[in-house]
Amino acid sequence: MFRITRLLKTIASIGHGLAVFVFLLLLAVFIRQADLMIKNSIVTSALSTIFFPAQYIIASIDDYYGKSSENEKLKRENAELRVELYRAKEGLKELSRLHELVRFEDTWDYPIVTARVVGRNPGRFLTTFVINRGKHHGLKEEMPVFSMRGLVGKISKVEWKHATVQLLVDPNLKLSVMEKRTRAVGILEFVNGRNLSAMIPTNAGVKMGDTLITSGLGGIYPKGIEVGVVNDIHKSDLEVMRNMEVLPFQEFSLLEEVFVMQKEPDWIVREMLK
Amino acid sequence: MIWQWIRFPLLFLVAVVMQTTVSKWIRIFDIGPDFIIIFIVLIALRRGPVVGALWGFFAGFALDVYAPVEWLGAHTISMVVLGFFVGQLEERFLTLNLGMKIGVLGLGFFVCDIVYYIAVGFDRGVVFNLLLTQTLPESLYTMICGGVAFKFLFAGNLKNKHV
Repeated sequence: MFRITRLLKTIASIGHGLAVFVFLLLLAVFIRQADLMIKNSIVTSALSTIFFPAQYIIASIDDYYGKSSENEKLKRENAELRVELYRAKEGLKELSRLHELVRFEDTWDYPIVTARVVGRNPGRFLTTFVINRGKHHGLKEEMPVFSMRGLVGKISKVEWKHATVQLLVDPNLKLSVMEKRTRAVGILEFVNGRNLSAMIPTNAGVKMGDTLITSGLGGIYPKGIEVGVVNDIHKSDLEVMRNMEVLPFQEFSLLEEVFVMQKEPDWIVREMLK
Repeated sequence: MIWQWIRFPLLFLVAVVMQTTVSKWIRIFDIGPDFIIIFIVLIALRRGPVVGALWGFFAGFALDVYAPVEWLGAHTISMVVLGFFVGQLEERFLTLNLGMKIGVLGLGFFVCDIVYYIAVGFDRGVVFNLLLTQTLPESLYTMICGGVAFKFLFAGNLKNKHV
């Protein structure tokens, strides 16, 4: 064994490795000049024996990288599609709301300005919100604000391109309402920090489930806008009046779009506001 | 002891893996570095012409197996030549700084490619064109990658050491 090693080393050292070089070069030239069939046989046997493990490792690494990049690409594509789907869904919802808005607009004699809710008051109780329309769009203070379901409130403050809406659930807002069936008129206000309450004469015969609309009295809101439904009836301090708990037709915190009726207050209100 | 036996095969495997994966990912304008040539130059500089030529033969044959079968042997010839001639500058007898090693790598790349083109049997015009459009940018890219490998993998000098 040692003799063979020594012999190989001696051969390798001849001419500083020249012998080995010549041998390898001749072998390589022989392979190069070989017949195509022999070449095919060499390649096939090499691939199926010594190169197979290396090939397997390389293929695994390449495959892993390929899958990883493909996975990354699919994730990105998935995220983009999700955004598109979300936009499409939102667009459909908005379209449906706008259809209702258009139908709603046709029922009123005053011009309507559609607006989007862009801000809400940050406190615990929602009493106002901000819309993206203002003086620039023809809005003025005390103009009524509605949604598709009914009354929302009125414009309390107006700037050039935005305005603040005072909601029905603001304790400082009071309005005249009428019961739709009996035509009895009363006053609606937000009491106890919890409920909308209407004071309506006892003899009117208003029952639970009756609908309240704006009466048109008071000079700010036009007649006939739905406000809410009578949810409960209590006795009041005055025997002739009943306290009625009113459930509004909408959840104010969920409003996204509203519209403002460009109806200015009647002259008497304007005089009082001066 | 075992490490001495397996480190070059392992390094060769790494070079092949890098050549078939990393080299593909870092290609710029279809020009990529050649990690196999870096490996042969490294080995030849470290261990001399015999080991250089042997590894050149093995590496060249490995490349030939995956090349068109009609050209079988062309890589083997070119790599044997590369390994043997670069091995003449073995580190046991010569001190090469990093710049010189990179220069040897670039020159070796050119020699290897010229031998390969001749072995394949390309026309003179095609060879000239390939040298300009393929070999020159690839040798520069390989020199950059080889410089990094020389700097960090084989920073030591083997002069006066008996390996």
